[in-house]
Amino acid sequence: MASRVSSKGKGKAARGSRGSGGRWTGRCVKEWSTWAMKKAKVITHYGFIPLIIIIGMNSKPKPQLSQLLSPV
Amino acid sequence: MGSSVSHAATPPPSIPPPPQHAVGLAGVLPPKSEEKSERKVNWLNLPCPVPFEEIQREALMSLKPELFEGLRFDFTKGLNQKFSLSHSVFMGSMEVPSQSSDTIKVPTAHYEFGANFLDPKLMLVGRVLTDGRLNARVKCDLTDNLTLKINAQLTNEPHFSQGMFNFDYKGKDYRSQFQIGNNAFYGANYIQSVSPHLSLGSEVFWLGHQRKSGVGFAARYDTDKMVATGQVASTGIVALSYVQKVSEKVSLASDFMYNLMTRDVTSSFGYDYILRQCRLRGKFDSAGCVAAYLEERLNMGVNFILSAEINHPKKDYKFGFGMTVGE
Repeated sequence: MASRVSSKGKGKAARGSRGSGGRWTGRCVKEWSTWAMKKAKVITHYGFIPLIIIIGMNSKPKPQLSQLLSPV
Repeated sequence: MGSSVSHAATPPPSIPPPPQHAVGLAGVLPPKSEEKSERKVNWLNLPCPVPFEEIQREALMSLKPELFEGLRFDFTKGLNQKFSLSHSVFMGSMEVPSQSSDTIKVPTAHYEFGANFLDPKLMLVGRVLTDGRLNARVKCDLTDNLTLKINAQLTNEPHFSQGMFNFDYKGKDYRSQFQIGNNAFYGANYIQSVSPHLSLGSEVFWLGHQRKSGVGFAARYDTDKMVATGQVASTGIVALSYVQKVSEKVSLASDFMYNLMTRDVTSSFGYDYILRQCRLRGKFDSAGCVAAYLEERLNMGVNFILSAEINHPKKDYKFGFGMTVGE
């Protein structure tokens, strides 16, 4: 992981000094989109079912909380 | 296509009116309804075809029931018209795909919790298992004709999650769909009605990571009594199916698949009885596999399920039973 970070830094410095901004922004966009996809995956994984429950409990006619938890 | 137009030109034969006090069989059968008038085909007003992925749905419903081995118990609890929770328990063997011809069965037991929200415009279905896997399905009507569908299976293990986004557009007599999936999968398909009974479609897909692409064509001919479909793909697969609706309660289906690359041929025949208290589906196929699936309605909302699959060449016998409570 450390080597990856250092090579990223070296690459960025070299690119900056060469002045080819287009390739650098393309790489940035790819890294940020990968980071965003990872975060979106974790959020969906933990939050999808609670989201359905919240939307369902707020729909009309509003069900009771006891109905949600009881098995009958 | 031309033949149906020519039949419209000949007048239908006149039938004698039924007797007032019906005798024998005539009293049991419903009176013969008026002959369906053969209208001239309006080529500008054709019906909307079925979606491309459902082109073989009648055959799949009859020939591929969800066979399982072990115990299955599903409980669906509705909290209101749109929102429901489901609890599902499964104890049995699941088959693990293996390279050799032996089947490897792994005994598994899991509990699955699910939540469904069904609205005319928005459908959300989520299922989570005890090992942390999440199955999510979203269907949203963005406008009258444009629908967004999302299908995802998320796991805790890295690189095993899958997701697919589908954009569907429904036109007057055509449907088109664009798909984006993980692993850089892009696909598009289009299906068009060319006559009141015949629709033709095609699809293309592109797998980014493996640099594979493919093209496929499909055709579907359906009437009230039968459905015939054919599909050809550049991956070397030819699939044909034919379903005949013998009566309101009985359908017979057959299916043929040929893989040009591996020279594999599979053919199966099945029946589907939809009776008042039960639904019985059975099939046998050319690989020596015989299967049956019975869903019996014991009471309002309580269904008893029996599943059996016998694979004679591999000597693999799978029997399962279960109960479904709730809608």
